[in-house]
Amino acid sequence: MKSPLRSLVTAALGVFSLVAAPAFAAKDVVFAVASTFTTTDPYDANDTLSQAMAKSFYEGLFGFDKDMKMIPVLAEGYEVSKDGLVYTIKLKKGIKFHDGTDFKADAVKANLDRVTNPENKLKRYGLYNNNIAKTEAVDDYTARITLKTPFSPFIAQLAHPSTVMISPAALKQWGSKDIAFHPVGTGPFKFVEWKATDYLKVARFDGYWRKGYPKVDTITWKPVVDNNSRAALMQTGEAHFTYPVPYEVADVLKAKPDLELVAAPSIVLRYLSMNTQQKPFDNPKVRQAIAYAINKDALAKVAFNGYATPAEGVAPQGVEYAVKIGPWPYDVAKAKQLIAEAGYPNGFETELWSAYNHTTAQKITQFIQQQLQQIGIRTKITLLEAGQRIERVDTWQDPATAPVRLYYVGWSTSTGEADWALRPLLYGESWPPKLSNTAYYKNPKFDADIKNAQLTTDSAEKAKLYKDAQETAWNDAPWAPLVVEKLLSAHNKKLSGVYVIPDASFNFTEVDIK
Amino acid sequence: MLQYIVKRLLGVLPTLLIVALFVFLFVHLLPGDPARLAAGVDATPETVELVRKDLGLDKPLPQQFVRFLSGVIHWDFGTSLRTKRPVAQEIGDRFMPTFWLTVWSMVWSVIIGMAIGIVSAVFRNRSPDRIGMTLAVSGISFPAFALGMVLMQIFSVQLGWLPTVGADTWKHYILPSLTLGAAVAAIMARFTRSSFVEILGEDYIRTARAKGLDETHVVIKHGMRNALIPVVTMMGLQFGFLLGGSIVVEKVFNWPGLGRLLVDAVDMRDYKVIQALVLLFSLEFILINLIVDVLYGIINPTIRYR
Amino acid sequence: MTMEADTDLVVSAPAATVSEAVRTPWTEFWRKFRKQKVALIAGAFVALLVLIAIAATWIVPYDAENFFDYDCLNAPPSLRHWFGVDALGRDIFSRILMGARISLAAGFVSVAAGALIGTLLGLVAGYYEGWWDRTIMRICDVLFAFPGILLAIGIVAILGGGMTNVVVAVAVFSVPTFARLVRGNTLALKHLTFIEAARSIGASDWTIIARHIFPGTISAVVVYFSLRIGTSIITAASLSFLGMGAQPPTPEWGAMLDAARSDMLTAPHEAIFPALAIFFTVLAFNLLGDGLRDALDPKIERR
Repeated sequence: MKSPLRSLVTAALGVFSLVAAPAFAAKDVVFAVASTFTTTDPYDANDTLSQAMAKSFYEGLFGFDKDMKMIPVLAEGYEVSKDGLVYTIKLKKGIKFHDGTDFKADAVKANLDRVTNPENKLKRYGLYNNNIAKTEAVDDYTARITLKTPFSPFIAQLAHPSTVMISPAALKQWGSKDIAFHPVGTGPFKFVEWKATDYLKVARFDGYWRKGYPKVDTITWKPVVDNNSRAALMQTGEAHFTYPVPYEVADVLKAKPDLELVAAPSIVLRYLSMNTQQKPFDNPKVRQAIAYAINKDALAKVAFNGYATPAEGVAPQGVEYAVKIGPWPYDVAKAKQLIAEAGYPNGFETELWSAYNHTTAQKITQFIQQQLQQIGIRTKITLLEAGQRIERVDTWQDPATAPVRLYYVGWSTSTGEADWALRPLLYGESWPPKLSNTAYYKNPKFDADIKNAQLTTDSAEKAKLYKDAQETAWNDAPWAPLVVEKLLSAHNKKLSGVYVIPDASFNFTEVDIK
Repeated sequence: MLQYIVKRLLGVLPTLLIVALFVFLFVHLLPGDPARLAAGVDATPETVELVRKDLGLDKPLPQQFVRFLSGVIHWDFGTSLRTKRPVAQEIGDRFMPTFWLTVWSMVWSVIIGMAIGIVSAVFRNRSPDRIGMTLAVSGISFPAFALGMVLMQIFSVQLGWLPTVGADTWKHYILPSLTLGAAVAAIMARFTRSSFVEILGEDYIRTARAKGLDETHVVIKHGMRNALIPVVTMMGLQFGFLLGGSIVVEKVFNWPGLGRLLVDAVDMRDYKVIQALVLLFSLEFILINLIVDVLYGIINPTIRYR
Repeated sequence: MTMEADTDLVVSAPAATVSEAVRTPWTEFWRKFRKQKVALIAGAFVALLVLIAIAATWIVPYDAENFFDYDCLNAPPSLRHWFGVDALGRDIFSRILMGARISLAAGFVSVAAGALIGTLLGLVAGYYEGWWDRTIMRICDVLFAFPGILLAIGIVAILGGGMTNVVVAVAVFSVPTFARLVRGNTLALKHLTFIEAARSIGASDWTIIARHIFPGTISAVVVYFSLRIGTSIITAASLSFLGMGAQPPTPEWGAMLDAARSDMLTAPHEAIFPALAIFFTVLAFNLLGDGLRDALDPKIERR
């Protein structure tokens, strides 16, 4: 009896070692990204990239899958009270933080208490609208959050990449500030080191709760600012994954046999806002004329090398409750007719500002300038440098004197939900300096829809209200909707399991390399 | 001379104090609210106020200046508004890579540049001079980003001889220093040529030549010393400029340098980093130009300074 | 050693020699300049550039700003478009011609202004030394150290955009270098025996500076001047992103070069032609500078 058993064991060991062998060879992957990280603390970050990187070591109660569908992560599920004020969240069991402590409801309390406390001065304080009354740990695996006023998109806020669960023990040990240099979460990777000028390195967390993951040993996040240099890094094999790939070099990378170029759909909307409080843009006909005058397909070709599609609504497809209305047709004759009807048969002169000064923005603004020239509108382009933008647009105090006219800008809805896609940009109370309604648009009908949608928890009702809001805004044309861009990434064919999700963040829990 | 050096060194502190005040006022005059920039576009006014408090920007200006100055005296430049790391550390991480890149770029470009310049002067208006001139003008008008990219495409991507980005080994220094030094070599070549043309035309050289002295001997013994003044001036200045970091080269080669730190800081109105960097650059230029002035005296002993 | 150097210098001749009294300085200059074929060609090229800058509007094959063809984006050079088409469908050849105006203004005028002020400051600092020298040179040190981008944002904030302000900004960047160069030369020149002699016979400070010291600094100024033109064109372009100077779609060589950066790998012609335009301009000014210097310097005769 002995020998068959022994051979079985030997065989099993053999199989095991065969299976396990590749796992013992170090699997190190390198991600080349476009800018340096501002922090490792998602509550104190306002850039998508830092938050995406932080997914290495942090996870939230909820999150998004690679198609931007909301999914529970550390939470099991949730219930809302009838009045829309109390959210009860059930947590998954058996999850450990990197420091060995168990993930329990006290973590939810510690983290939400931290961000909602103005003393901690966190940049994401505003995300929760000062609307969380209290957070309680009902038992080890049940958390209860009470709101001050009903706010139906609340769960989307919990799914936002900044709402993550940091180990309460670590928070206590390092304090609210220094936690940024010693991140401790439940994520698939542990923090190793951060050399601000060079790279940030994370290593596999053996106690990760999703069995079988992560499949690689380390990830090195390497910020490489220059587009062409990043492309070079991919070609030499020094990096395995890169985002973003500039539109101009897409074709170069596509031609390389060992690289794969991926164009993923996005919820990044590019539009041209028009100051509706100022002449001549107070006239809807002028605004519609401008929307008609721009050839969005040609724009996609000129500035995005074809990696963009004309915008089909006020909120891009992929955002929950987004309605497809457009695209707005390109019709120069109609544009000329409208502008003549508005009383400007010979056009006029105006300012065209861009919120960014990178090369794509240079191309886009010059393209818009060329297009508007065709209907007699002569524009003076200024690409605002970040500080100028803050001064002249974002923090302008008096709406009556706001100097912004035509303004090229974009928006990515990181909660994946219509409220955050519409309210900051078009709501009557979101004019600068409060939020980013640079069109100074105000329509009582639209505002009522948004307000009511926040209060209702009924999904069908919400859909109806948001549809009405989007159609209202589309027809009023406070913006000329331009394009929704595609997210271009490239990875080595040996690499799998890394996705750029529609808000330009990454999912990489399943990353593997052959 | 020693007295002069001591006097100049004593003058460093007051100068830096004036620079500190000047740059402090200047950054606060710039448009753009750092709190808003740090908080991000989708931040609410309450958040912006929180960030402002967090960054210490809610205090009155004189108080902020006094805090800045007393910090500097204690060698504490505060923390970066952008990264929340200590400014001294932000600069410290980047200073040595910038310094060594500057040194290597200067070494090759001064040697090559002066060699081209001397050859051009000796063969004035003949073909070596024309070739030297073309090289020099190329060096200064060929855009650095293109040069860097071409070098990287050839030596890293195609040939695979050198690494693309980073600053870890000596190999990492080759391409960036070539890119950075090209313009310096051009300037050195042109100045060396011009000075030597002048010196070679001087009577005493002709006299020496007439006396049958060996030409090389003449060039080195008489020509060198007097020709060196503008050359040394430019060398010092170029050294100072390179120490400030080069945005283009640092971007292309992802070099951890001071140029990009400055641009990022200006973009985000990171006052503390800007202030510390301008102080550092001022100190560098004051010291470099002091050394250059002392060199003048050594090269030409008639320069004594009053 | 030191003594030897000093005595060597004594024999070096001052600017004016006796023979010159016979001919006027102008004919003398022209006689020497004419002999330099290369410098003449360079001069003709610069004249041509100026002509293009003036007449560009009438000679361009396409409208440099408003002509666009989205069907041949980034097209390489062809018979129809000699220098190819840029990323926005515009004719690069036309844009190069039209760009001459602003590029020359930014390159030449600003450096000229910087050279003028810098030279004056350098002469004063070097000649008088002491308090003047310390003050001027410390201001220069600060200007050297002061980041250009910061200065530019400040100028835009205080004075606004506009071409004049670009010239001002670029001129300010150039002043300290000229000042230091000239000061260095002045320090070396002022102890020469003939200058001491001029002073002893009661020549005024300004006469000495203008007649005897300034000519000795010219060569360094001319060399730096002609090199600086290229740098200034590129600097001016980087300012246009801060809202200063030429705004799109106005063509300008530096800005064209910068815009071509993202398309470098796929459409290199967009960078090559503006780079060549800058290259030839700088080359021409350098050759011309050498020729002028040789013609102005009485000590130098062609060998």
